[in-house]
Amino acid sequence: MAEDTKAQPVIRVEGLRKSFGAHEVLKGIDFEVMPGEVVTIIGASGSGKSTLLRCINLLETPDSGHVWFHGEDLAAEHVDVNRLREKIGMVFQGFNLFNNMDVLDNCTLAPVTLKKMGKAEAAEVALSHLEEVGLADFAHADVNSLSGGQKQRVAIARALCMKPDLMLFDEPTSALDPEIVGEVLEVMRSLAHDGMTMVVVTHEMAFAKNVSDKVVFMDNGVIAEQGSPKQMFSNPRLPRTREFLSRYLDDPEN
Amino acid sequence: MGSTTKGGLKGFLAADHRYVFLGTSVIALMGMWLSMQPRSTWSFLAGVYTLEVVMYYVLLAWVVVSLVALVNKLVRWRDYAGASPFTKPVAKRAERIASYVVWAISAVLFADRAIMGFCALVSSSIASDSNPRDFLSSMVYMAYEGRGVFARGIASTIELAIFGTAIAFFLAILLVFLRIQQIDRPDNDFVRFLKVVGCGFAKVYSAVLRGTPMMVQAMIFYFAGFAAFRSTGMSTGEVSAIWSTFVAGLVTISLNSTAYMMEVLRGGIESVDPGQAEAARSLGLSQWQAMTKVVFPQGIKNAIPALSNELVINIKDSSVLSVIGVFDLMFATTTVAGIYYRQLECYVFAAICYLILTMIASKILSALSKRLEVRNPGPVLGTSDVAATTGVAGDKADPQRVSALHDQKRDGTKG
Repeated sequence: MAEDTKAQPVIRVEGLRKSFGAHEVLKGIDFEVMPGEVVTIIGASGSGKSTLLRCINLLETPDSGHVWFHGEDLAAEHVDVNRLREKIGMVFQGFNLFNNMDVLDNCTLAPVTLKKMGKAEAAEVALSHLEEVGLADFAHADVNSLSGGQKQRVAIARALCMKPDLMLFDEPTSALDPEIVGEVLEVMRSLAHDGMTMVVVTHEMAFAKNVSDKVVFMDNGVIAEQGSPKQMFSNPRLPRTREFLSRYLDDPEN
Repeated sequence: MGSTTKGGLKGFLAADHRYVFLGTSVIALMGMWLSMQPRSTWSFLAGVYTLEVVMYYVLLAWVVVSLVALVNKLVRWRDYAGASPFTKPVAKRAERIASYVVWAISAVLFADRAIMGFCALVSSSIASDSNPRDFLSSMVYMAYEGRGVFARGIASTIELAIFGTAIAFFLAILLVFLRIQQIDRPDNDFVRFLKVVGCGFAKVYSAVLRGTPMMVQAMIFYFAGFAAFRSTGMSTGEVSAIWSTFVAGLVTISLNSTAYMMEVLRGGIESVDPGQAEAARSLGLSQWQAMTKVVFPQGIKNAIPALSNELVINIKDSSVLSVIGVFDLMFATTTVAGIYYRQLECYVFAAICYLILTMIASKILSALSKRLEVRNPGPVLGTSDVAATTGVAGDKADPQRVSALHDQKRDGTKG
C-alpha cells in the first residue's frame, strides 16, 4: 500500500481552468506532485498562483479540468471534498486562526470533530505539533495575543494535527514583518526535511532555491516553465522567467 | 482634571478649582430662588425659620464675595493671578470649603422645596376626592387612581417585550441558519433543493415582516388565528380563551422581531472574516460544522449589541398591539384617559413609564453584554520585536509570560 502511493503522484492536476467573470485566471494547468516532493510556485502577482493552490483543495471550484488526489478526482461533481480535504493541510497568508478559540482548541477542533478523537488524545497530538513549531507553552493563549509569526506557526501546527498527506502554503510569509519571516520558513524547512509533501506559493526565492525539489514558474495563467531549482535559478529556459528571476538573482541575499 | 482621574472623587474634592466662584454662584442663586418659593405642607424648614434666613444670607454672602472677586479681577486684569487676595493658597482653600457649604445649603433647600414639595403634591393629589385642575397633580391623581390598570398594563408590556424578544431570538437563530445556506459541492440534489427553499423562505419572511407595519400584522395574525380556531368548530368564547389578545400579541411581536433579529444576526455573521470559514473548510469541516463551530459563535458576538437593542425596541413597539386589545401600558393609558377625559396628562405619564422601562432595560443589557464581552485582547504579548530577538526557541523560554496569559484569560472568562 505504502509502496503503491510512493509510485503515484499525490496530486495530479490536469487541464485546470478557472475564470472569475470574464477574466480567465487559470488557462489549462497541468502538473503533478510526487510524494515527499516540495514544489514551489513562483510568479508575479496575478499570475494565478494562489488560485491554482486554492483549486487543489477546492476552495475555488475549477471550471474544467481534473485534480487527482491519490487517484480520486476532487473536481468531479458530488465528490466528498470534506473527506479529501482532511488529508490536505492548508496554510493561509492571513493565518485565519479561529478567533473564538485558544491556540490548543484551534488545533484540536478538526481532529475532535472529524476523526472522533477524544479531547485528551487530540490535545496530546496538538501539543506535540505545537512543540514542533516551538509554541507548546502558548497552548492556552488567546490567538489574538500572538505575533504574526507565532500565528502562522500555530496555523501550521493546526494543519499538521490532521496528519495530512499534502500541505499547501499560500504565501505563508507575505503578511509578516521581514524580520519574523525566518521563524516561519524555519518551520517549513524542517517539515520539508521530514519528508512532508508540500506545495508552496511564495515570493521567498531563497526558500524556493534551497528547499524545494521543483520550481514552477507561472505567468499569466499558465505554467511557463518548471524544473529543478538549480536549473531554474541558474539557467532558465525562457526570457520571461529570466526577467522575473533577475530581480531576485541580483539580490545578494539569495 | 488630572487629579479627578487620578484620585477620583477624593482628588476632585481636595483640588482648588479655577471656576469655583462662577459655578458655585449659579448654585447659590438657585438656592436663593428655591428659598423664595412658597413652602409646602411637608417642608421641614418651616419650623426653623431663623435657620433658613441664615442659610439665605450665607448664599447671598457668597454671591457678593463672588461679585467682589469679579470686579477685582476686571480691575486688576493684568496681575490678578499674582497679586489678588483671592488667588492666595489659603484663600483658595477657604473658597473651596465655602463652596461646599453653599452646595450643602442649596441641597437642603432643594430637598425642602422641590423634593418635599413634590411629596406634598403627591400626597394631597392622592388624598384628593376629585381630579385636581393642575397638570402635575392631575397626573399623579390619575396615576394613583388608575394604579391597578397601569400596573397590569406595565406588567404585560414587560411580558410581551421579554418573552417576545426571547422567542424571537431563538426563531431568528433558526431562520438565519436557513438564510445563510449555500450550495456546497458534496450536497446531493435533495439537500440542494432544501437549501434553496430554506433560504428563499427566510428571504421572503424577512421582506414581508419588515416591509409591513406591525399594527397591520397584529390585526392579521389576530383575526387569522381567530378564524382558524373557529373553523375547528369551537365557539367564540372557547376561541377567546385560547387565542387571547395577549397570545396573538405575543405571536405578532415574536414573529415581527424574528425578522429584524435575523437580519442583525446575518449582519454579524457576514462581518466575520471569510478566511475563518475557509480555514475550517480547508481542515475538512463541512459547511455546517464550520458554521456552527467557527463562524456562528463569532457572528453572534458581533451581533450582541444590536440584538439587545431589540428588547428596547420591543418595549416601545409593543404599544401598537393595543390595537387588537392587548392590555399593555398603552391600552391601560387609553383606558384611564377615557375615564377622566384628561388625555395629555395620561400620555405624558405613559411616556415617563416607557422611558423608565427602556432605560432600565438598556442599563441591564449593557451590563450583561459587558459580562458576555470576551476578554479584551490585552497587551500584545509576543510582539514581532520580541519574536524577532528571541527567535523560535525564545517563545518557549518564558513561562512567566505564559502564566500571565493564563491568568488574564481566566479573569476574562469569569468576569
